[in-house]
Amino acid sequence: MTTASAETVVRPARARTAAATATVRRGQGFQHGGWFVAPFLLLFALFVIWPLLRGLWLSFTDANISGDAAHFVGLDNYREALDDPLMWEALGHSAWFTLLVVPCITVLALLLAMLAHHIERGKWLWRLCFFLPFLLPSTVAANLWQWLFNPGTGMVNHVLGLETAWLTDKSYAMLAVVVCTLWWTVGFSFLLYLAALQGIPAHLYEAAKLDGAGAWHRMLHITLPMLRSITGLVVALQILASLQVFDQAVVMQDFGPGPEESTRTFVQYTLEQGFTSYRVGYASAISIIFFVLIAAVALARMWLLRNREEGGR
Amino acid sequence: MGRPGLDRRQLLAALGGLTVAGSFGFAALGTGADALASGADTRVRYWNLFSGGDGYNMIAMLDAFRKDNPGIDVKDSTLQWGSPFYTKLAMAAAGNRAPDLGVMHLGRVTGFSPGRLLDPWDVDLLAKYGVREQDFNPALWKRAVIDGKLYALPLDIHVQLCFYRRDVLKKAGLLDADGRMVPVTSADEWFDVLKEAKGATGKGLQTIGLWVNDQNFQWWFFVAFYTQLGGTWFSADNTEVTFDTDKATQVLEFLRRHVTEGYADPGFAGGAGAEQFVNGGPFVWEGNWSVPVFDSAKLDYGATPLPPVFGRQATHAESHAFVLPHQADRGGAADEGAHRLAAYVVQHARQWAAGGHIPAYTPTLSTAAYRELKPQSEYVSAMDHQATEPKVWFAGSTGILAQRVGPIVVSSTLGSAKPDVVARRMKSTLTQLLASKNPMDGRTAAEGGAVA
Repeated sequence: MTTASAETVVRPARARTAAATATVRRGQGFQHGGWFVAPFLLLFALFVIWPLLRGLWLSFTDANISGDAAHFVGLDNYREALDDPLMWEALGHSAWFTLLVVPCITVLALLLAMLAHHIERGKWLWRLCFFLPFLLPSTVAANLWQWLFNPGTGMVNHVLGLETAWLTDKSYAMLAVVVCTLWWTVGFSFLLYLAALQGIPAHLYEAAKLDGAGAWHRMLHITLPMLRSITGLVVALQILASLQVFDQAVVMQDFGPGPEESTRTFVQYTLEQGFTSYRVGYASAISIIFFVLIAAVALARMWLLRNREEGGR
Repeated sequence: MGRPGLDRRQLLAALGGLTVAGSFGFAALGTGADALASGADTRVRYWNLFSGGDGYNMIAMLDAFRKDNPGIDVKDSTLQWGSPFYTKLAMAAAGNRAPDLGVMHLGRVTGFSPGRLLDPWDVDLLAKYGVREQDFNPALWKRAVIDGKLYALPLDIHVQLCFYRRDVLKKAGLLDADGRMVPVTSADEWFDVLKEAKGATGKGLQTIGLWVNDQNFQWWFFVAFYTQLGGTWFSADNTEVTFDTDKATQVLEFLRRHVTEGYADPGFAGGAGAEQFVNGGPFVWEGNWSVPVFDSAKLDYGATPLPPVFGRQATHAESHAFVLPHQADRGGAADEGAHRLAAYVVQHARQWAAGGHIPAYTPTLSTAAYRELKPQSEYVSAMDHQATEPKVWFAGSTGILAQRVGPIVVSSTLGSAKPDVVARRMKSTLTQLLASKNPMDGRTAAEGGAVA
């Protein structure tokens, strides 16, 4: 029980410098924390790190699905992928989807959060309503909207008095997926904003009121700046999630690529290559390309934020 | 060529443990315990892709088999149709956890590594249980033979049909003395029929549903009419693309005309076509699997093969066929049981015909019981003029060919691209596919030589 005795030694030694304390803590680090994170690390290594390395290796081979020995083909898969118009199209669809969803969901989540925050009566009901769709499985949400968008019998056309073929017209098919996604996932960002709103100290608003600031100014100069970091988080999470769009697009189009292949997303294309065409090597290569792209987006955002923070100090 | 020696387990691990676990879960269903419980000596594990009415009919046939063969315990598992089914089957065969018997679409067999993922049938054993080559349509049997061995035992063919409402056609004066749709021999005649029918159709209903936005159906219809024109795909040795863009353009223009002349409404594309038909629309082009749907809706309807608008009969056909997924130690009682079960179901497919499919076992077709089936007896002739995809590794139901070419056909039918442009686009896609290597064995169609 050396650790326990070390603890008792450390505790009364308040007078020591912080640096010294840190050294002592670092010395004991793994003995304590290591065992706590070990299960996670093990699973992470098994289900994330290992498949990633395995996929990286496969991307340099002509592996198929049958388990036969694969052959090393160098950069062939990558060369082919960069020349593959279908891959670029699919990437374009995922990017377009992301461009549509991220701003909409951010604004919508903020508006709903403000609404729920300011409402006095039946607050719980509003929160529940906005958050509930998020609890549905994607297939349920997608099927629901498939019905709603049905041109002949769907509620959307009925309410709007239109005859739009939402799911079978190239111009609207991706829009339909976006609408479904907004309704289905806005609850998560809404909750983040709501928590952040509740964290803004009331005395700021009181002081502003005393200075004669109206509601609009209070929102502009207190609420929005105080929410800046949470907005960064919402945008970042949404970008990463939206780029990986797959299930709702696929279910709404009955597992096809949509009208004139307009809703085939990047993940869907990877799946088709791997599990319809049995080209595991090639599917791995485009997955790695996608991984690099997403990682680049995430790193770029971190770098931008770091610069902003440093500039702000 | 370095051989990293990927072993099975590592590959499967990389392919996502969950999918694999799922499929192994199926494979592991019915291990020793329940076989013992049932008191049977032999257990046959059988995977199929039949749900809905087909699933019900298949189970009825299996139950009949169980009653007649109490010594054999059939463990059947139904998996979701489409690509996932083939993926699971491939992985199970690759992982040597394959079931004793499986079902596939005949068109997919060529690309499924026959010999590697599939084991050949023992034709002597099949004959012992009463199934012989002469009991089948020769063209159909030939499609199941690869490198001289039988890799699939056809259970049925399923075809694209022109369903029509007798009540509406009668009003339009389009029924003959036997109460069947008047015969059509040219595209113009066909559009005259549509015009007459449109006049007799209720408000808010389209004249014909033909899945204008669906890559599979549009491709199937294309194959049918392109075959009617005598079009070909590839040279016999699969070295050249012989696809005829002029003929293809004719077909694409024909399909497009249904939309431009206002007979098919893109707003009622997809499954809405069948709904419209039930509600009183005069025509719908659908697979024969819609027969039970329209039967249960109590419609007064008939069904013929797709009209021979280019002067000769041909309608798209695919076929459900029994296969033997590869097992390293195939043989013994379970394998014999699989042969016996497949032979039994093939010979007792009258029940199967209720699902609209045409039994492959021709003696069934000449029985009085089958000839009394309506509308089946009206389209049984489709057996003799099947339009099928070319016999290459990338063809077959929901296969690569359909996935690549189908959407191109749709773009013409919906009018976002001109038919002649689309025909050329199809040809270049076919050229690409012919030159591409089968990921299963690294050979192109020409090198694969999967010919009978």
